[in-house]
Amino acid sequence: MVYLFWSVLIIHLLMAFFAAWKVFNGENGVVRLAGLDLASTLTISVLVIVSIITESSFYIDVAIAAAALGYLSTVALAKLISDQKAF
Amino acid sequence: MAGIHPIAQGIAIFFLITGTLLSLIGVIGFLRLPDVYTRLHATGKVSVFGLVFLLVAAIILTPLGIWKGLLLIFFVLMSAPSISHSIASAAYKSGLPLANAARDDLKGKFERHSRKNH
Repeated sequence: MVYLFWSVLIIHLLMAFFAAWKVFNGENGVVRLAGLDLASTLTISVLVIVSIITESSFYIDVAIAAAALGYLSTVALAKLISDQKAF
Repeated sequence: MAGIHPIAQGIAIFFLITGTLLSLIGVIGFLRLPDVYTRLHATGKVSVFGLVFLLVAAIILTPLGIWKGLLLIFFVLMSAPSISHSIASAAYKSGLPLANAARDDLKGKFERHSRKNH
């Protein structure tokens, strides 16, 4: 049971690493922005798995804050890209 | 975790494994697909299926996080389509080409900027 949780956590950390690798090696700015959004989603997943492992609900509060922050930053950067002011 | 019914525990493990496999499919699609639009199609799987299934497992397995988990599911289901729409709209308006597209339904309806490096 605990080994299942830890293996799921390691798989999600590896997926977040590949998404962050795509942020640095993307073809253009929009692919990098999609990779940033994917990395923030996988960060929220890692926080949820940590809350399952430690059996506490404090990490879900942190996940709510991270979700709000990732949503605002992604929408703002997409608006900057579509107005040709960045990337 | 001692006071959970074994059937509920089995349902939680099923949601955990299914969510992890769907997230894995989404990340492989994000790394392998040729275009930014198809990549957005793949990353939508991660935020909707993977994260929501993990949150259902967390609601069953943790004793305290029922309404917090439902709030986060609601927020993710609200925010993920608008994030995908904003990124795809930014990509189309900044003039990125569509790889292997049979036709373009939005042709001539937006002013597309020209890019030097696409």
